[in-house]
Amino acid sequence: MLPLSIKDDEYKPAKFNLFVKLSGWFRSILADKTSRNLFFFLCLNLSFAFVELLYGIWSNSLGLISDSFHMFFDCTALLAGLAASVISRWRSNDSFSYGYVRAEVIAGFVNGLFLIFTAFFIFSEGVERALEPPDVHHERLLPVSIAGLLVNLVGIFVFQHGGHGHSHGDEGHGHSHSLFNGSVGHGHSHGGHGHSHESKHGHDDHGHSHGGHGHSHGGHGHSHDDPHCHDDHSLTPGKGSSKQILQGVFLHIVADTLGSVGVIISAILMQKYDLMIADPICSMLIALLIGVSVVPLLRESIGILMQRTPPSLDHTLPECYQRVQQLQGVYNLQEPHFWTLCTDVYIGTLKLLVAPDADSRWILSQTHNIFTQVGVRQLYVQIDVAAM
Amino acid sequence: MACAPNRVRLLCMLSLTFGFFIVEVVVSRVTSSLAMLSDSFHMLSDVIALVVALVAVRFAEQTQSTNKNTFGWIRAEVMGALVNAVFLTALCFTIILEAIERFTEPHEIEKPEVVIGVGAAGLLVNLFGLCLFHGHAGGGGHGHSHGGHGHSHGGHKKHKNGKVRRCETLEDSRSAGEETNNLVGNQNNSPNGVNPDRTTAEMCHSDSLDLQINGSAPYEELENGHDSASQLNMRGVFLHVLGDALGSVIVVINAIIFILVWNPCKPGEVCENPCVGQHCADHSLNNSSEVTEGAKIAGPCWVLYLDPTLCVIMVCILLYTTYPLLKESALILLQTVPKQIDMHQLNARLRKLEGVLAVHELHIWQLAGSRIIATAHIKCHDPTSYMDVAKRIKDFFHDEGIHATTIQPEFVTMNSDSRTSLCELSCRTQCAPKLCCGAADAVKPPDEAVDAKISCEAKTPTVTSTSATSLEIISESVEETSRPESIVIMTREVESSL
Repeated sequence: MLPLSIKDDEYKPAKFNLFVKLSGWFRSILADKTSRNLFFFLCLNLSFAFVELLYGIWSNSLGLISDSFHMFFDCTALLAGLAASVISRWRSNDSFSYGYVRAEVIAGFVNGLFLIFTAFFIFSEGVERALEPPDVHHERLLPVSIAGLLVNLVGIFVFQHGGHGHSHGDEGHGHSHSLFNGSVGHGHSHGGHGHSHESKHGHDDHGHSHGGHGHSHGGHGHSHDDPHCHDDHSLTPGKGSSKQILQGVFLHIVADTLGSVGVIISAILMQKYDLMIADPICSMLIALLIGVSVVPLLRESIGILMQRTPPSLDHTLPECYQRVQQLQGVYNLQEPHFWTLCTDVYIGTLKLLVAPDADSRWILSQTHNIFTQVGVRQLYVQIDVAAM
Repeated sequence: MACAPNRVRLLCMLSLTFGFFIVEVVVSRVTSSLAMLSDSFHMLSDVIALVVALVAVRFAEQTQSTNKNTFGWIRAEVMGALVNAVFLTALCFTIILEAIERFTEPHEIEKPEVVIGVGAAGLLVNLFGLCLFHGHAGGGGHGHSHGGHGHSHGGHKKHKNGKVRRCETLEDSRSAGEETNNLVGNQNNSPNGVNPDRTTAEMCHSDSLDLQINGSAPYEELENGHDSASQLNMRGVFLHVLGDALGSVIVVINAIIFILVWNPCKPGEVCENPCVGQHCADHSLNNSSEVTEGAKIAGPCWVLYLDPTLCVIMVCILLYTTYPLLKESALILLQTVPKQIDMHQLNARLRKLEGVLAVHELHIWQLAGSRIIATAHIKCHDPTSYMDVAKRIKDFFHDEGIHATTIQPEFVTMNSDSRTSLCELSCRTQCAPKLCCGAADAVKPPDEAVDAKISCEAKTPTVTSTSATSLEIISESVEETSRPESIVIMTREVESSL
C-alpha cells in the first residue's frame, strides 16, 4: 500500500532548533548585567548606524554612507564583547575542561587588536590627506558629530558608575582600576577622517563622525563586592571575569567620544581659521592616542594568554615557596607553574620532593592552605618521594 | 635551532616587502596617484604582519623558563598566528568597505601603465614570498593537511616512542624505552641544519630546574612542539602574503582589462563620462563604439565595476582560508583539550588502572604545538602504594602523548569508602560546579552535584572532607589545624559542605 502522504515533521528540527538556540542565547544575555548592558548599547549603536545609512542614502551623501559602514565595523567590537560574555558562561564539557572562561580574555585581546588596526588605518588616512589635502565640506558634519557625541556621553554616563569596585586583598591588583581610570580620555575619531578623499570627486559631506557609536561597558568593572576574601566566592559566576571584555569595549567607547570631539574641534578650526591641515593632524594625533591607550589592555591579555605568572602574585609567591619548603619532610620544591585562567582565577602546579617517612597528607593539606591564602585555589601538588 | 631558517626567511621577506613599500610610496608621489599610496599602505600592513611573526619567532626561541614565564615563551607563536589572523580579518573588512564605496561611485584608473608596472613588481615579490613560506608552512592555504608530516598536533597520537629522551635522573625509569627516533628529523622538511641529537645532548647538561614544563624531560619535544607551533605562525604569514599576492593579481588584471577595453575621454575632446558621477550607475550604456550623437562617450561602464567585484571575490577567498587558522589558534588559547585526545575515554581508562580509586579534576590542555599538559587528582589507598600508582599513571599519560603531567595524590581515609568520588582537596573557585570537582564528572552521585551547587551559593565555611585523621578544613578564617591529630571537624556530613 503506497503511502498517500509523507509527514516529515518529525525530521525537520533544524529551524526549530535554531530558534530555540537563539532564544536560549537571548535569555542568557538578558540574565547577566554586563551582557545586558552590552546588548542594549549594541542595539543603540546599530540603530544609529542604520539611521545614518538611511540618511546618507536619502541625501545622496557618500560620506555618510561610508561612515555608517565604519560604525558597523565598530559594532563588531561590541559584538565580540557580547559574544565573549555569553560564551564564557557556558559549562565545561569534554573538549573544554576548564570551560570557556578564557573567551573573555581573548575578546579583550581581539578588541585591542582591532583598535590598533583602526588606529593604524586612521593614521594612514591622515597621512594621505596631509599629502593631498582634499576639500572637506562641513555642512552636515557638525550635526552628525554632535549627535554622535551625545550618544557616547550618554553611554559613558550610564556605564560609568561603579567603574572600579575592585577591592581585592591583593596588592598587585590595584593597578587594575587605575588602568581603568587611566584609559579615560583617550579616544579615536576615525570619525570625520574616514574618507574625505571622496571629496576630490566633488562630493560634499564627507567628514562624518562616526563618533556616534561608542560602547561603554565601562559599567561595572568586576564587582567583587565582597571586600573580604576572595575565598568567599559565592558571587554569580563570571562577574569578576568580565574585566577584560569591559576594558576592551570601554576603550572603544571613549575612543569614539574623543573622536567626535576631535572632529568637532577640527571642523571649527577649519571653518573659522581655514586651517585645512587641522583635519589630518587631528586624525594622526587621535590615532596615536588610541594606540597608546590600548597598550595596557594588550599587555595584560598577552600576559594571561602566555601563561605568565599572575602579576599580583609576583611578590607573594617566593614567600609561599619558602613556607612550603620549611614544612617538615619537604626537601625541595620544584617546577612551580602558576598562571591565570581568567580574571582572578589562578591555577598552579608544583612538585614536592619529600622524605620517605613524611606525612604526605599533612604536607598536601598544608601546601594547599598556604597557597589558598594568597588566592590560588586550584593547586596540583605532586609528591615525589626521594629514594633513600 | 629549528627556527633559524624561519627567521632568515622572515627577514628576507621583510626587507623585500619594506623596500617595495618605499618604492611604491615614491612612485605614488611622483605620479601623484592616490590609489598607489593606499596600496602602499597595504604593503605596510604586510610588513607589520611579518614583523609580528618575526617577533613571535624571536620570543619563542627563549624556551627557558623564567621567573615570570614559567612555561617559557613557547606560546608566542600561537599568539603571533592569532594576531596575524585577526589583522587579516580586519583588512578584509576594510577592503570590503572600500569595494562598496567603489560600487556606489566608480572611478577610472589613472595612468594604468604605471599601475601595471608596479602591480607586476608587487606580484613578483609576493610570489617569491609564497614560495619562501609555502614549503615550510606545509601548505597552509592549500588544504593538504600538514597532518601528513606529523607536524600537526593531530598526528601525535601514536607517538609514544616520540620525543622523550631521558636526560634527567630525577625521574625514575618511567620513561625508559622512549627514545628519540628519526621522527624529529623527518618532521622538519625544511633544511633544518640542526642535528637533533646534538642539540639534545647539549640540553641534557642544562640545569634541570630550567625545565619548562612538568613531567619528564621532554627535550625532544622542544624541537617538535616548536615546529608544530611555528607552523601556525608561518601559516599566518603565508596567508598574509597570499592575500597580498591576490591583491596584486587583481590590480594587474584590472589594469590590463582597463587598457584593452576602456575607451577614455581624451583631454581636449568633447565627451561625456556617464559612468562616473552617478550613484545609480546606468548599465544601459554599451560599447563606446556606438556613437549616436556627435559626442563621444567614455568606455564601457562595466569595466569600472570589475575592480570591486574582484576585490569582493578575493576577500571571500581570504576569509575562507583564514578562518581555520583563526579557529585553531583561538582554541589553543582557550585551553581546549587537544583534538586527538578523547577525555571521556581517557578518564575511563585512567580509572581502570590498578590502584586508582577515583580521578578528579582532570584537565588537559595544549601549551603550544605538540606540548600537552595534564593535571589531575588521583585518589589512591595510601602513600605506600602511591609510588607504584604514580609510575603507572605517568606511563599511561606518556602513551597518550602527554609528557607533562602533575598528579596530586589523594588518600582514602578510614571511613569514607563510600564516598570515594568525593574530592578531598577541592578547589574553591568562583563557581565550583563549573570548574571543580562538581564539574562534569561522569561518575558522580547526583547528590554531590547538588552539594556543589549549594556550596556555591552558601557563604559558610566549607568542609572538604570528613576524614577523621587526615585533611583539615580549609576555612575562611585561617585557623586550620595544623596537626593531623587535632583535626576536629569532619563528622559533619557532606551535604553541608562543598
